[in-house]
Amino acid sequence: MEGSKHSWKAWLYLLPVIILTLVFTVWPIINTIRIAFLKDYSMIGAMGGKTYEFGFANFSKVVTYKRFTTCLKNTVLLCVLTVPISTMLALLIAVCLNAIKPLQRLLQTIFFLPYVTNSIAIGMVFAAMFNMIGKPSSPDSVGIINNFLGIFGVAPINWINVGSEYWANLTVMVIYIVWNALPFKILVLLGGLQGVNKQYYEAAKVDGTSRVRTFWRITVPMLSPMLAYVLITGFIGGFKEYSSVVGVFGENMGPAGQKGALNTMVGFIYDSLSQNNQGRASAAALILFGIILVVTMINLYVSKKKVHY
Amino acid sequence: MTAAHEINLEQVKARQKVVRIVVKVLLYAFLGFMALIVIFPFYWMIISSLKSLEEYRQAVPTFIPTKGWHFSNYAKAFTDGNLGALFWHTAYVGIVSTIISLVITVLAAFAFARLEFKGKNLLFGALLATMMIPGELFTITNYITVTRFGWLNTYTVLIVPFLVSVFYIYLLRQNFMQIPNELYLAAKVDGTSDLKYLWKVMIPLALPSLISITILKMMGAWNSYIWPRLVANDEAHRMITNGLRNAFTESTGDVNFPVQMAAVAIVSFPLFLVFIFLRKYIMKGVSRSGIKG
Amino acid sequence: MKKILISLLLVFAMLSSLLLVACGGDTTTTPQNQTDNSNTPGGTEQPAIPTVDPADANFQVPASGFDTSKPVTITFYHTMGQNLNAVLDNYIAEFNKLFPNITIEWTQVGDYDDVRDQISTELLAGNQPNIAYCYPDHVALYNVAGAVAQLDALIASTMTVTHDDGTTETLGLTQEQIDDFIQGYYDEGRQFGDGFMYSLPFSKSTEVLYYNKTFFKEHNLSVPTTWDEMEALCQKILEIDDHCVPLGYDSEANWFITMCEQGKTPYTSATGEHFLFNTPENRAFVKRFSEWYAKGYVTTQGLYGAYTSGLFIEPDPTMTRSYMSIGSSAGATHQRPDRVDGEYPFEVGIAPIPQLDTNNKKVISQGPSVCIFNASDPQKVLASWLFVKYLTTNVEFQAEFSMVSGYVPVIKSVETNEAYANFLKSAENGNDGIAALSAKVCLDQEEYYYASPAFNGSSKARDEVGALLQKCLPLTGSNLEDQIEEAFEDAIDECEYFVTD
Repeated sequence: MEGSKHSWKAWLYLLPVIILTLVFTVWPIINTIRIAFLKDYSMIGAMGGKTYEFGFANFSKVVTYKRFTTCLKNTVLLCVLTVPISTMLALLIAVCLNAIKPLQRLLQTIFFLPYVTNSIAIGMVFAAMFNMIGKPSSPDSVGIINNFLGIFGVAPINWINVGSEYWANLTVMVIYIVWNALPFKILVLLGGLQGVNKQYYEAAKVDGTSRVRTFWRITVPMLSPMLAYVLITGFIGGFKEYSSVVGVFGENMGPAGQKGALNTMVGFIYDSLSQNNQGRASAAALILFGIILVVTMINLYVSKKKVHY
Repeated sequence: MTAAHEINLEQVKARQKVVRIVVKVLLYAFLGFMALIVIFPFYWMIISSLKSLEEYRQAVPTFIPTKGWHFSNYAKAFTDGNLGALFWHTAYVGIVSTIISLVITVLAAFAFARLEFKGKNLLFGALLATMMIPGELFTITNYITVTRFGWLNTYTVLIVPFLVSVFYIYLLRQNFMQIPNELYLAAKVDGTSDLKYLWKVMIPLALPSLISITILKMMGAWNSYIWPRLVANDEAHRMITNGLRNAFTESTGDVNFPVQMAAVAIVSFPLFLVFIFLRKYIMKGVSRSGIKG
Repeated sequence: MKKILISLLLVFAMLSSLLLVACGGDTTTTPQNQTDNSNTPGGTEQPAIPTVDPADANFQVPASGFDTSKPVTITFYHTMGQNLNAVLDNYIAEFNKLFPNITIEWTQVGDYDDVRDQISTELLAGNQPNIAYCYPDHVALYNVAGAVAQLDALIASTMTVTHDDGTTETLGLTQEQIDDFIQGYYDEGRQFGDGFMYSLPFSKSTEVLYYNKTFFKEHNLSVPTTWDEMEALCQKILEIDDHCVPLGYDSEANWFITMCEQGKTPYTSATGEHFLFNTPENRAFVKRFSEWYAKGYVTTQGLYGAYTSGLFIEPDPTMTRSYMSIGSSAGATHQRPDRVDGEYPFEVGIAPIPQLDTNNKKVISQGPSVCIFNASDPQKVLASWLFVKYLTTNVEFQAEFSMVSGYVPVIKSVETNEAYANFLKSAENGNDGIAALSAKVCLDQEEYYYASPAFNGSSKARDEVGALLQKCLPLTGSNLEDQIEEAFEDAIDECEYFVTD
């Protein structure tokens, strides 16, 4: 590529981004790093004239937390389960939506509706779907998901209530997160699909290539930049999962009687922030940053080999 | 022999037809099923907005209002909620920040996708890295910053700190990179300026992504809550989610959710229309024969 | 792409080196009054509130007093809903007749936690309001920054302030006014371990026992006054209706803390060692209730999966229901069944919650207080004080606010207010007067209110004991005691991990 004479132009184009990022992102990050090395630093305490010891105390306190491994395990599990599932489902839906003729507009519109649904409604609907009400031994209402499964002869499952098991909780979380992530991914992939030249499909048709083969040989490679985007940002976001757990389990971060069973790394950061321990929260954030960074580098390394621009 | 052959052929054709129909049916069944799942919260929002508070608080939720359809919730939402002002504040912030943000994002994505300069990848990597730290930690520092700038209770404070989104820059960069470089070089030979090329070729080709960004950015204004409450919770700037959360609090401190839902539905409706309108631009796809490969 | 990888690595390296540069230590060292938490030794019994000299308070009334000629604007954060805002506005207008130079700007911030989060951030930039709705643990948090005005000097002041109409009032509180406050509510402002007064009560509620009066009459049951009676009653009710859960308790945290108070066993301390609740006595009552839960006597909101009030007013006879419900006195209307064909399916009775020891009656005190923030301009603090004093000691305001909100007034003299007396009379109207009935039961218990010690982290203790009870109730098995002990230790660990002084 030609270029160095464009250098000043490039910086000009990037100027607004750089300035705004420096002020509203980089500066807070520097602050975060500073605070992470001050033991149990509290901003409000500092206001009151308290001084804090410099060192690695926050980091060691974070990793020695009794439930640190629980938080880490939940974070990793939720991320590695939901990102591939939601991406594949979204891809399938986008391709299908692109392939049909009748009802296309109606269905597309329906897949748009989540954008105009307030987030409060999304959180509440879930409780209604999985919540079991009444005595655990003989519930009065088992929720519509269990009603639905009952059609196939499945005994009611205790999904999120008192005494529920970890795998059931995790399943609900995975469904919730995938469901939440779908609309955006469909939108991006649907947009990306418009960029695929129809001529390829026509050529494939003439050659009599099967649908499945066409999908893997044409659609996926042509969409690979968008897929890479969805996957990489999905992993970055997935490691920061928190509000979805609150959406299903509330501040308890677990079913009744098992507080914190589904807590995540960002959940832990919130716990520390709510006790005004910005020092410990910052240290945890930096640890999380390290983890995401490694994963993203692996992702970028893989996508470098697979993505066609 | 010929007849047998023909029958065979017909059988094959018939089988193909059956396969095609089965595929179609499966396709629609799948889409229909997913559509039901995806639409459910929207449906829930609407029926919740039509329930009485008592029915809403019932232990076992009802899927269709059984104690009357309370259309009066909508009237109450309208009169109690000061919806007009809330709507305009939010729309103003949404529109202004979307437009500025689009310009910034397009320019940055173009620079990252098409221009060569020293430190490009370092800068891009650094931007990507900023996404990896939970943003909750930035709130307090940013609050102190905007206070120093004297921005409290202005539209500036609602718009400026969120103009840059690496998330969108990255999306658009990927989109731009799909467009073959040959086109750009050809344009250069013709003496077309960067901006003209950007405007005439890249933007039309990346339209679906730009519309996605527009939608998400607008919805961001509709759903933002914590920051606006912190920095601009005065009558003249209060945004929708904030206003709604406060407007329908009963004296006991409980929120009257059905009326709140009704209010949400009312203020979301114009957005809904805009999206329906934009949908066709996402789906149209631009005629681009000869562009790729 | 490779370059991006390298650059990400570089960023990481850069950030790591930045750490070492950036960490010069903390530079913000504004010396301010800080509550000293260290000299009172912790003990199992709650330490008596130390007496203090008002002259030591961090706010002192300037010798010139309040200047009624200079305009002053003060801000007030609260969580009042729309109908209460109307009441507030009326009384602001009344107040302005006395002090036309004071402008009150109020903001409804959200819920209580929102007010706390908002203010704790605003404090860092010096943008905090002058007056705020508060719970004790909020005040403890703001105190870390030394931001809350200690009211002792204001209360003690005998200075005279002249109103616009020429009448006068004492700047401080008269002994009569102090005595008019319900003692338990007033003392809450001094629960911070240092003996200073940080807040005045604004409007309050407590927990009451709602019961199905119709059912109780029909089966000749009497309302339990002790937990022993409650146990026997639950057994009896289950014999009558084996498909029910006799009692629903809304808040696990309230239940735990109230049991500590009723049994005089340790919960927390504002000074010294904070978390004292892991004692054999506390484990014993938890074990007792988990046995109740196993027998199906009781459930809570978390364990039941929905509002326990919903269980209490359940209209469908095929569904599980309860005949008693312990919840906030301010939420009485939620405990009233819906009319079916114009008739209530049953009448609700309201009684005080059961006690452990009738010689040591204790009920929780909930609802907002108000605190005043220190400001560089003492006139603002004085104006805030005058307004706070006006709202908390004004009989008409307290009466009207209580009638609209469902909370109860914080001063005794409201009972002499005609409108409020009439309101209380409506308690005789059965379910239609349920709010009045609840207020009445609430007022009858004014001697029994307790306030838990407040310190930075007391809300964590509250969260943890709630979760603890929730965890322990469903436990079963032969090693129940061991499991409970483990859960207690866990809760203490969790508190001690997160709360740092």
